Amino acid sequence: MPGAKTGCTKMNGIGNSLAVETRSLVKRYGSFTAVDRLNLRIERGETYGLLGPNGSGKTTTIKILCNLLRPTSGEAFVLGRRVGDRSAVSRIGYMPQETALYLDLTIHETLSLFGEIYGMNKAEIEREEERLLRFIDLEAWRNTTIANLSGGMKHRVSLACALLHNPELLFLDEPTVGVDPELRVSFWDYFEALRHRGVTVVITTHYMDEAHRCSRIGLLRQGRLIAEGTPAGIVESAGCRSLEDAFLALARRGDARET
Amino acid sequence: MLFWHLPEGVMRVRLRRALAITKRIFRTLKHDRRTAALICIAPVLSMCIFGIAFSGEVKNVDVLVVNLDDGPISNGIIGNLDRDTLDIRFVPDEAEATRKVKDGDAWAAIIFPEGFSRTVLSNGQDGEANIVLRDDKSNTNIATAVRRAVTNALMNTLSEYGGKLPVSIQEDPVYGGKAEFIDFFVPGIMAFSIFLLTMLLTLLAFVGERTSGTLERLRASPMRASEIVFGYAMAFGIIGMFQASLLLIVATAVFKITIVGNPFLAYLIVALLAMVSVSLGILLSSAAKREAQAVQFLPLIVMPTFLLSGIFWPVEAIPSILRPLSYAIPPTYGVQAMRSVILRGWGLGEIWPQLLVLLGFAAVFLMLSMRSLQRGRG
Repeated sequence: MPGAKTGCTKMNGIGNSLAVETRSLVKRYGSFTAVDRLNLRIERGETYGLLGPNGSGKTTTIKILCNLLRPTSGEAFVLGRRVGDRSAVSRIGYMPQETALYLDLTIHETLSLFGEIYGMNKAEIEREEERLLRFIDLEAWRNTTIANLSGGMKHRVSLACALLHNPELLFLDEPTVGVDPELRVSFWDYFEALRHRGVTVVITTHYMDEAHRCSRIGLLRQGRLIAEGTPAGIVESAGCRSLEDAFLALARRGDARET
Repeated sequence: MLFWHLPEGVMRVRLRRALAITKRIFRTLKHDRRTAALICIAPVLSMCIFGIAFSGEVKNVDVLVVNLDDGPISNGIIGNLDRDTLDIRFVPDEAEATRKVKDGDAWAAIIFPEGFSRTVLSNGQDGEANIVLRDDKSNTNIATAVRRAVTNALMNTLSEYGGKLPVSIQEDPVYGGKAEFIDFFVPGIMAFSIFLLTMLLTLLAFVGERTSGTLERLRASPMRASEIVFGYAMAFGIIGMFQASLLLIVATAVFKITIVGNPFLAYLIVALLAMVSVSLGILLSSAAKREAQAVQFLPLIVMPTFLLSGIFWPVEAIPSILRPLSYAIPPTYGVQAMRSVILRGWGLGEIWPQLLVLLGFAAVFLMLSMRSLQRGRG
C-alpha cells in the first residue's frame, strides 16, 4: 500500500495506526437504514474513495466520522480517538457537500474566520491564505464577497476552508462537483501532493476517473460495503475491463444475492 | 461546559473562538448594508412612530354646544373648555344637536338649559343646576375625554366666581413630576424594540447557519456550542447597546425626555435583555427548518411581548388571569428596570431584583440554547 509507507511518524495516535476505523457502524432513520453494519479500516496516508449511488450512505458515514451525526450503534474511531471525544477535531478537515459559507463575507474574511476557529495566529493564517489562494486560483478575488462568486468558485473556497489548518485527515464530500475539468485535475494533483505529505484523504465521488486516482476504494450500496480494494484489484476480481463495468457488475451481483 | 471552570489557557482559546464568531457577525454586517441599516433605523423609527401616535391624549373631538342660558356662567364655562381637546360648534336648539350626535356628526352635545346661570347663582335655592351631556359613549376614550374637559371647565369657572370645594388634593410628586405619557412610554419601547429586533436577527441568522450548512461546519471544527452561543450573545449585546444609545439620543433630542438615572445602567439592562433574546432566537431556530417557518413564530412572540410586558399600560392593568404571563416573560422586567432608571433615577441598589430575574432568564435560556445545539446531532 503506497500510503502506509509515507504515513508520518509524528502523527501517531494512541496505540492505533489507523486513520479511520468503524466497527459494525449502523445509522437508522426510522425504518430506513442509511449505514448498515459498516466496517471500514483506512490506513494513515491513504487516499480512500467512497463510491456508490445516491443514498448509499456515503455522506452519512462521513458525517458520523465528523461527529455531526450520532450512530445508532457500532463504534467509530478517527486518528486513534473515539469519535465524540473531541481531542482529534482540530487535526481533521471537513468539506461538506453543500457550499456552507457565509455569503456576506469576502474570501479573505472567510479564510481568516476559519483560521481563527482553528486557533491559528495571524501570520500563519496569512501564509496559508496566500498559498491556498494561489492553489484555488482566486488571488484576484480575495476581497469579493462569497455571494458574488460563481458556483465553482464557491466550491474552491469551501475546499480551501477545509485545508487551511493543515489537517492530518481530510473528509471531502464530493469536492469536485461543479468544478471545471482543468481545475478538477489540479485538485487531484493537490490531493496527491497531500498524500505524499502523509495526509489521509477520505473522498466521495461519482467520477470513475477520480476513483482511479485513489489508493483504495470502497463501494457502498444500501449502507453496506460490497467491494473494497485498489482500483486495479477491483477491476481484476470482478473480471471486467473497466472500473465502471466492475461497479455495475458488483451492484447486479449484490441485487441477485438479495433476491 | 462553562468558562469559569477551566484553566486560564483553555479559557483564552475559548474566548478567542467565541470572539471569532462575534467578529464574523460584524464583518457580515459590513457587507450586508440592508441589515445594518435595519439595526440602526428600526428601533428609532418604532420609537418615533409610537411616540408620536401614542401621545396618550385625545384631541380634536367634534362637539356641539347648545346654549339656552343667557347668564354669565354658561359663557364662562364655554370659554374655559379646552380647545385642544374639543372642536366646538354652536347649534341653536337641542333637538338638532341630538340628531347630529345620533347621525355621528359629533361625539357629544353639551347643553346649557334655560336659566342655568340663575339657578347656579341662587346658591341652591332654585334647586340643582344641570349641564346636560348628550354623548356617544361607544368610544369610551373619547367620552371620558369630553367629560373630563367639561368637568375641568366647570371647576375653573366656579372658582372664578368664588365657589370652592372645601377640600383640595395637594399633589407632591416623588418621581416623574413633569412626566408625560411619552416619558412613561420611551423606556418601554426601548426595551421592547431591542428585545424583539435582537431575537429576529438571531433567529434569521441562525436559521441561515442551519440551512446553509455553516453551523455543521462549525460543529465539525473545534468550536463548541457554548462558544457559538457566547459569540452571538456578545455581538448582539454590543449591537443592543449601540441601539440603546441611538434611542437615548433620539429620546432626549426629539422627545425632550429627561433621563434622571445613569445611562450606563440602561446599557446593562439592554445587554442582559439582548442575551435573553439571542438565546431565545437560537432556541426558536432549532424548531424552524427554513426562514419562512421562522417568520411564523414572530406573531407568537410579538403579541404577548407587546401586550403583556407593560409597555403601553401597566402590568397592574392586565386582568389577573393573564398577569402571571406578564411575570413569566423577560421583557416585563426589562421594561420595569428601564423605567425605574430613566424616570426615577434608581440605581443598582433598587433595580437589582429585576436585574437578577433577567440574569436568571439569561442563564437558563443560554443553557437551553447550548443544549439545543449539542442535541442537534441526530
